[in-house]
Amino acid sequence: MAETVVAATDVTVRFGGLVAVDHVSLEVARGELLGIIGPNGAGKTTFFHALSGVVRPTSGRLVVAGDDLTGRPAHVFARHGVARTFQTPRVFRDMTAEANVRFGLEFAGRGRPAGRDAFADARSILDFLGIGAAAGVPAGELTPARQRLLEIGMALGARPRVLLLDEVAAGLTEAEVESTAALIRRVRDELGIAVVWIEHAVRVLMRFVERVVVLHQGRKLADGTPGAVAADRDVVEAYLGEAVI
Amino acid sequence: MSPRRAIAATLAAAAAVATLPWLTSDFALSLALTCVMYAGLTVSWSMFSGVTNYLSLATAAFFGIGAYVTAWGLGTLPYALLVPTGGLVAAAFAALFGAAVLHLRGAYFAVITFGLGELVRHAITYFEKTYAHTVGRVIVDVPGSTAVFLTVLAVSAAAVVTALAVRASRFGLALAGIGSDEARAETLGVGARRTKVAGFALSAFFAGALGAAMAVRWTYIEPNSVFNPFIGFQTVLISMVGGAATIAGPLAASVVFSLLTEFLRLQFPYLFLMLLGALLIALVLYLPGGLASLAPAVRAWLARRAAGDARG
Ligand SMILES: Nc1ncnc2c1ncn2[C@@H]1O[C@H](COP(=O)(O)OP(=O)(O)OP(=O)(O)O)[C@@H](O)[C@H]1O
Ligand SMILES: [Mg+2]
Repeated sequence: MAETVVAATDVTVRFGGLVAVDHVSLEVARGELLGIIGPNGAGKTTFFHALSGVVRPTSGRLVVAGDDLTGRPAHVFARHGVARTFQTPRVFRDMTAEANVRFGLEFAGRGRPAGRDAFADARSILDFLGIGAAAGVPAGELTPARQRLLEIGMALGARPRVLLLDEVAAGLTEAEVESTAALIRRVRDELGIAVVWIEHAVRVLMRFVERVVVLHQGRKLADGTPGAVAADRDVVEAYLGEAVI
Repeated sequence: MSPRRAIAATLAAAAAVATLPWLTSDFALSLALTCVMYAGLTVSWSMFSGVTNYLSLATAAFFGIGAYVTAWGLGTLPYALLVPTGGLVAAAFAALFGAAVLHLRGAYFAVITFGLGELVRHAITYFEKTYAHTVGRVIVDVPGSTAVFLTVLAVSAAAVVTALAVRASRFGLALAGIGSDEARAETLGVGARRTKVAGFALSAFFAGALGAAMAVRWTYIEPNSVFNPFIGFQTVLISMVGGAATIAGPLAASVVFSLLTEFLRLQFPYLFLMLLGALLIALVLYLPGGLASLAPAVRAWLARRAAGDARG
């Protein structure tokens, strides 16, 4: 069996009376490309917050690469190889695009191998993402779409074992979504890191990932291959409707 | 300018300033001392608060702690040893206090650091009254004005060199990341808590050392004079007027501001605080990035002039 990079067991996150994530368990294997879908407010982003240590789960356990990190701060998760993007891009606005990528390299990514020459330094990561020309531009001046790409670059700089992508294709044209998806697949193929990808563009996502998890009202509703999930009656009733079939 | 060259330039400038005691009058030297002291205070303040946006009003507290290290130690320990000791005591104090309060941001952090100054002032007053049965201390056997000037200059130059080195370092990048988006920096592997405590303590070291070095300027030391909140406010104001995100800005503003304050005080003894206040308001309104934000315009103007000279 493939090595597990992240294991979440019975993770629950409450905000006051609201249960945003409700006893969700998930194991992500090394090099896996996994999609998470679900309606607005399903708890997808909150689940990412828990997986990356940004929010401490109310209950449940989080194990990263064999180490129990439950309750530890976000930088410990980052140093164990969990990297992420944010639904609303959070780049260091006054720093250049290159410095933003270097940031990950200097801290979480420090001392970890590059994997491939194409990811050796900040500049080559930007080139890989197709935004090398913007290396010297302050990140705050980039378009939102480019800031999303830059966030992937910052995360790659952290040399992760698992990359959590939160709607990196939001607001893109169909062609751009395709190319972003191809890029994500290349990241996985060339670096062998696991990718967990939240996206509302279900159709594209289903074509690119090998496994899909459906969250609904904080709970895990389904977990399986895209084909199996698309055929699942609960999923169709609760969420997909006629969207896919 | 590369960090190496900037450090070399700083040392050269400090060496030049070090000749002042032999070139100027006592009055000019005491004016220069004020400039140099504020240069050290503002640059070390900006090193942490300007970069991270954790606005600290604790400068007076650290300065006062350093001053009291000298007040208590003079006669037992040599002056040259008291100065770094004052810095270390202030830094240790900042580390303890910082670990407890550096999760607060914005106005909360500012207010609590201001409260720290008051707390330390009252604690020392109480301690002196109860155990030493005194309100203040007369300082005797003080070093000469040249020694004091050179010591303060050495501490301030060290502050500038440290600020330059920090800015070029990984530690400086972490501080900048915290200033820009702390939670994001955390998700990229920065231990924000430890970084902030270290930055706060480093900044406090210089305020403490300057307090220890300046203490001998007063012949009589009491909590109300060395824990003067004015020193803390003045430090923040000068840094902001200069441009707290930079090193050169606070440095230049310290000189301009100290001279201006002195000039206004002599020319308009009754109006000077009002004039100073009005000037500050005008600067904050019309030059929010501080004097440092004028630098590109000045550079462009110089370049135009140079081009003009070349043609003419
Ligand atoms: N900090 C917070 N405080 C209180 N409630 C929150 C907080 N963050 C999220 N929630 C609530 O938790 C629920 C899950 O939100 P979450 O952002 O995880 O959903 P999502 O699946 O990412 O939705 P979307 O697809 O719109 O991004 C929502 O009801 C949301 O309002
Ligand atoms: Mg979301």
